[in-house]
Amino acid sequence: MVNSYSWVNHFQAFVLIIFTFVISAQSDVPRPRGVSLSKASLYSPTKDFTCFDGTVTIPFNYVNDDYCDCFDGSDEPGTSACLNGVFHCTNAGHRPENIPSSRVNDGVCDCCDGTDEYAQPETCKNTCEEMGREARAEAQRLADLHKAGNHLRLELIEKGKKKRNELAEQLSQLEKDKTEAIKIKEEKESLKNQLEAKENEVLQVYRDAEEKERKRKAEEEKEALIKEGTEYFSMFDTNDDNVLTVDEVKVVNAFDKNKDGEVDQEEIQYFLGTNESVDKETFLSTTWPMLKPFAMSEQGVFQRGVENEELDDQDTDEATRDIETDEGDNEEENAEDDLPQDVDQEVEPESSRIYDDETQKIVDEASEARRQWTDAERAVREIESNIRNFQQNLEKDYGLQQEYATLDGQCLEYEDKEYVYKLCLFQKVTQKSKNGGAEVGLGNWGEWAGEDNKKYSVMKYTNGIACWNGPNRMTTVNIHCGLETKMLSVSEPYRCEYNIELATPAACDDSNASQQQSHDEL
Amino acid sequence: MKPLGLPLIFLLAVGVLGVDRNNFKTCDQSGFCKRLRPFKPEKSQYTLNLDTVIVHGNVLSAEVTTANTEAEKKVPLWKYSLTLSALVDGTFRIQVDEADPIYPRYRTQLALDGEPKADGLQLVSKEGGKVTLTNTQGHKVLITAEPLKFEFLDQNGDVAVVINENSQLLIEPLRLKREKNDEDEENAENAVEVEEEGTWGENFKSHHDSKPRGNEAVSLDVSFPDADQIYGIPEHTDKFALRTTTSGEPYRLYNLDVFEYELDSRMAIYGAVPVLYAHGSKRTVGVFWHNSAETWVDVVNYADGTVVSSLVNLVTGGHKRRVDARFISESGIVDVFVMLGNKPADVFRQYTKLTGVTPLPPKFSLAYHQSRWNYVDEADVRGVDENFDVHDIPADVIWLDIEYTDRKKYFTWDSEKFRHPAEMVANLTAKGRRLVVIIDPHIKREAGYFLHEDATEQGLYVKDKDGNIYEGWCWPGSSSYLDFFNPAASKYYSERYRFENFPGTSKDVHIWNDMNEPSVFNGPEITMPKDCRHYKPPQDGQDGLASYWEHRHIHNEYGLWQIRATNEGMLERADHKYRPFILTRSTFAGTQRYAAVWTGDNAAEWGFLQASVPMCLSLAAAGVSFCGSDVGGFFKYPEPELMTRWYQAGAYQAFFRAHSHIETKRREPWLYEPSTTALLRDAVRRRYALLDFWYTLFYEHTLDGTPVTRPYFQEYPNEEETYTIDDQYLLGDKLLVRPVLEAGAKSVKVYLPGRDTNTLWYDVDSYQMHKANGYFNQEVNIAKIPVYQRGGSVVPRRERVRRSSTLMANDPFTLVVALDANNTAQGSLYIDDGETYEYKNNKYIYAKISYEPKQMTYTLVNPSAQFSSRAWIERIVIAGIRAAPRTARLHHGGRSTALQMTLHRGNDVLVIRKPGAPVSEDWSIQFAE
Repeated sequence: MVNSYSWVNHFQAFVLIIFTFVISAQSDVPRPRGVSLSKASLYSPTKDFTCFDGTVTIPFNYVNDDYCDCFDGSDEPGTSACLNGVFHCTNAGHRPENIPSSRVNDGVCDCCDGTDEYAQPETCKNTCEEMGREARAEAQRLADLHKAGNHLRLELIEKGKKKRNELAEQLSQLEKDKTEAIKIKEEKESLKNQLEAKENEVLQVYRDAEEKERKRKAEEEKEALIKEGTEYFSMFDTNDDNVLTVDEVKVVNAFDKNKDGEVDQEEIQYFLGTNESVDKETFLSTTWPMLKPFAMSEQGVFQRGVENEELDDQDTDEATRDIETDEGDNEEENAEDDLPQDVDQEVEPESSRIYDDETQKIVDEASEARRQWTDAERAVREIESNIRNFQQNLEKDYGLQQEYATLDGQCLEYEDKEYVYKLCLFQKVTQKSKNGGAEVGLGNWGEWAGEDNKKYSVMKYTNGIACWNGPNRMTTVNIHCGLETKMLSVSEPYRCEYNIELATPAACDDSNASQQQSHDEL
Repeated sequence: MKPLGLPLIFLLAVGVLGVDRNNFKTCDQSGFCKRLRPFKPEKSQYTLNLDTVIVHGNVLSAEVTTANTEAEKKVPLWKYSLTLSALVDGTFRIQVDEADPIYPRYRTQLALDGEPKADGLQLVSKEGGKVTLTNTQGHKVLITAEPLKFEFLDQNGDVAVVINENSQLLIEPLRLKREKNDEDEENAENAVEVEEEGTWGENFKSHHDSKPRGNEAVSLDVSFPDADQIYGIPEHTDKFALRTTTSGEPYRLYNLDVFEYELDSRMAIYGAVPVLYAHGSKRTVGVFWHNSAETWVDVVNYADGTVVSSLVNLVTGGHKRRVDARFISESGIVDVFVMLGNKPADVFRQYTKLTGVTPLPPKFSLAYHQSRWNYVDEADVRGVDENFDVHDIPADVIWLDIEYTDRKKYFTWDSEKFRHPAEMVANLTAKGRRLVVIIDPHIKREAGYFLHEDATEQGLYVKDKDGNIYEGWCWPGSSSYLDFFNPAASKYYSERYRFENFPGTSKDVHIWNDMNEPSVFNGPEITMPKDCRHYKPPQDGQDGLASYWEHRHIHNEYGLWQIRATNEGMLERADHKYRPFILTRSTFAGTQRYAAVWTGDNAAEWGFLQASVPMCLSLAAAGVSFCGSDVGGFFKYPEPELMTRWYQAGAYQAFFRAHSHIETKRREPWLYEPSTTALLRDAVRRRYALLDFWYTLFYEHTLDGTPVTRPYFQEYPNEEETYTIDDQYLLGDKLLVRPVLEAGAKSVKVYLPGRDTNTLWYDVDSYQMHKANGYFNQEVNIAKIPVYQRGGSVVPRRERVRRSSTLMANDPFTLVVALDANNTAQGSLYIDDGETYEYKNNKYIYAKISYEPKQMTYTLVNPSAQFSSRAWIERIVIAGIRAAPRTARLHHGGRSTALQMTLHRGNDVLVIRKPGAPVSEDWSIQFAE
């Protein structure tokens, strides 16, 4: 069989352009060179050949005559004549293969049985047996690996399911806790409202007194202002006619708002309006309040600038402190938690006042109720936040059988010449230069991204730190069966797109492997 | 490759892309240009001393003097020696040097391809203050003695070229720098010479140029009567036809690494080829300004609307057709070649006779190249190589940019990423592919790096102004630059290419010489300071200014010296058996003898795709036919449409390489949507189908020296509409290419030349025939590349496109015969082994193919040349056939075989099925009605 096969090849090497017909080495179905068994029936030597696309019909001896007649290349399955043709190698002993016609007789061995180089049969050795053996051995190795790994995978599945059940249990416990906590919160709230009402009542006396005092002070200040204003008015009104004229104002330094040594029209207008003069009443109600700071500063009573600066500083300090507090809080809890504290702070000045014992007691009770209510409310929020976390974890896709569940949060490291890479499964990927420098995020957990039925063979971590002048970094993790969970390699095939090859028992599946093996042998 | 570093980061941070003009000089910032540009005296100071005229052999020699025209002109101010030589093929050379310079002035060394061959020169007369000379071809030269003027007459006796018509001949004599304290002497001896500011030193930005020789500029004006347009002086991003410069900057020739160079500009970029061609319907002539220093060129086209009409009338007396040009160079002598054409093809040939042709390139280098800054490691290279096969796209070469080295030390490999270079190369060559690696002229200054240590020890580096080794900044950081002017440096460099010195390389590894302007990141204008010192043979002394050349003298030919050393090294590494392929960025006259050129660091923008056509047309006219642009654009990312159009255009440009910047998104053809990948595949396959046509064109270029890529006016010199067309062109005289260069194009304007000769053009996709009649609208979809075959031509194709060109060596040919109005066609086919010099030992096939209504013949031009090829003719397509023959018989080797034929389209395309004729022997086909 083998002899006659190579004889045919040899013959064709000399008569290239002649129609060729090959007796397949593997079966007795006669078919033109380069035609697969399944398509053999389409080439019948007894009738004209019609191109697969139906456009042209040619005598059968035009098939494989090394001239392309069909647009679809179907008349030249065994030659390189058609640019878009396909050559089928049987590759007995290994996998059959379809190669582009352009690889027929180009001097490169593409089929392991060497049939693609029939013009110079000595070019290629038949390596199918060897390759088939290797492929089978590799398939066997993989099958063994999957089989060995499958135990570990089953453990992972068990643990994963357990973890999931635990999560579910914990979640339902949390739900219960939440109901309980809400109840407590409501109780505390009602108590607080009650005590605060009481507190309000007793504090009203103090507030009224305070208000009265405040009004009195305001009155005093107003009187002082008028008195002062009157004094100044008399001082400025040099001719004592109870009217300040422009001429009188012009000589008063206090009106020189911009301190340029001259009271100009603009400044006069600023203080006197559009009038030529101002009477005492208008002066006191309108001009004096504007003028006073300048008059005072003129006399060195107070130095406006300095005082303002101090005020500004205070403001800034407070602002800074606020920000710091915010940050501190954010790390632990939600920013909302600040609100009740702020309320406390506002109330505090009041409580620092001196009350009589009775009042003080009521105020203290109210404060305590407020504190308890705040605690209760925080407890509810904490539980809710926990519930959200648990729900998210439960919603995460850990594989068909939860085999990846226990790997969540597990961090792996891989070092190459320049970098240390860290993969925290279902969390994030980072890179750190060995020469120091900050950790760079290469992506956060995105999704499973394997194609079709291999969804769980590829993970995507997306939205890493943006590349200079480029996209955000992202990482693709290709998952293989392995007896331990570890990174096999990290590469950056495209700028800012990383590839991790990851081995893990979670990807071992002996049912899959055995299927594949049997397919190979077909 | 481009400086990345800080400037780019800064530019992008503020969201601006584009050249930083402040880094580069304007004419006003370049001392000699500012000094000489306004120089336009009423009357030239230069006078020929008629008594000294001697004509000997092909050379006239004489003394030229300058006199102070203002005062008594009895006493000559300065003496010059003039030689005028007649050279073969209608070319003359004029050289004017100081008669007795205080030390020699620089004469450009490498531009010429050997000493030009002499023609006979005869003194016709010497009377009336004029000398008349003639060469053996009937061209005349009239030299007017006072003021000095040269008129070159064509064979009809009409003035074709005038030199010094505008009195702008100027040679600044060399002077000694005087010490401040001998003022008296200065006043007494040389009162006329006023020491201008900047004579002994100039500043640009933070850089100081010490100018130890002072001012030494030269200038010359050339007038072209009857010219409609002038072309040449690449490399610029301007139009192919040069524009009047009166109202702006002159064209600048100074090889510079211009980061993000701008379009439509006369700014200098990487290349400088000082050759000009003037063309009109009457004649075509050329001028080659043989000077390697910084040069500025002014152009005045009298037909140009911007030229004041009164000036036109004044100068030309209403004669509108004339172009004037003027060269200003910083140093050197006046050395100019006048080429008298008188057709475009003649003058292009005359130029390559002087500076050389592109030798036959290895065939793979005309195929598709895949490059990227950078393929990161061996696995990446393997992956790219394999993906071409997975996606069934042919490719011949994979390129490695600077990152393959051990930290930018050339002639080394990164020991992690490229651990097995030989294996990597073998993996490529197994499929007929090659590798190109980059080797730049800057050398990393690192202790322990053999190249740096050898160069330091053996004194092979360029020196600074004080004679110490010059240090500049480039890719590796602190770097020094090999001084290729030193024969020891060139020899040492050549030897680095030996396989044993560059492990991992083989005959299938070729070289890319980049950054060879040279690029110096921290230098003035990103290049080397002009007062750096280059080696000079010690014939003029060991000390002082006579003992070295300054960088200013040689700048534009620095890169040429590098590629010459590379070429020599690549020849020697393989015992002169294999043809080297070199790519260079810096370009000068003569570059074509060693390397292909690409248009440098462009960007993924339509404007750069458009610019690639006139830029390469201009380079091709200046001898560099092997030209291309980074397909897809170097900076930025090309969207699918631009990428598709660029591949389609690149497939019809000589050098076809995709390349991209390290910071851009990857863009190998398969990374686009499958529909785009299919279009890119189609474009690359079209190139491969025509590879033998390209190879034949390049072979014929070695024979006739005319451009492979041609402007229309080369073939249709009388068709005035074509003179300014530079968005479409011809390949040889057979194919017309109008690449789609516009976004969203639904149709393009194609100009079909040859109206007067009833030329026919056939759409190569459909064989649809068009009669030449100027512009017509060609509808295009995204797959269409408007290409037309001239009626009267035969184009060989190989339809069986494989993984690489090497694998197609034995494949059969399809001959496409496009008939002219007389039902005839001619073509040619060249075949050899594609990579060795065996073709010089008559191991080749060169056949002329001729079609007449009754017979088609295939005839070997040189019967003593033989090359055994298994290739055969599988198909002959005859387009435009009017009366189909009834029978056809192949006659070959005394046998006669009947052939099958089928008619297609509107019965005007005849296909001969499988004639099976060989390519290595004569044959003919007889047709009968």
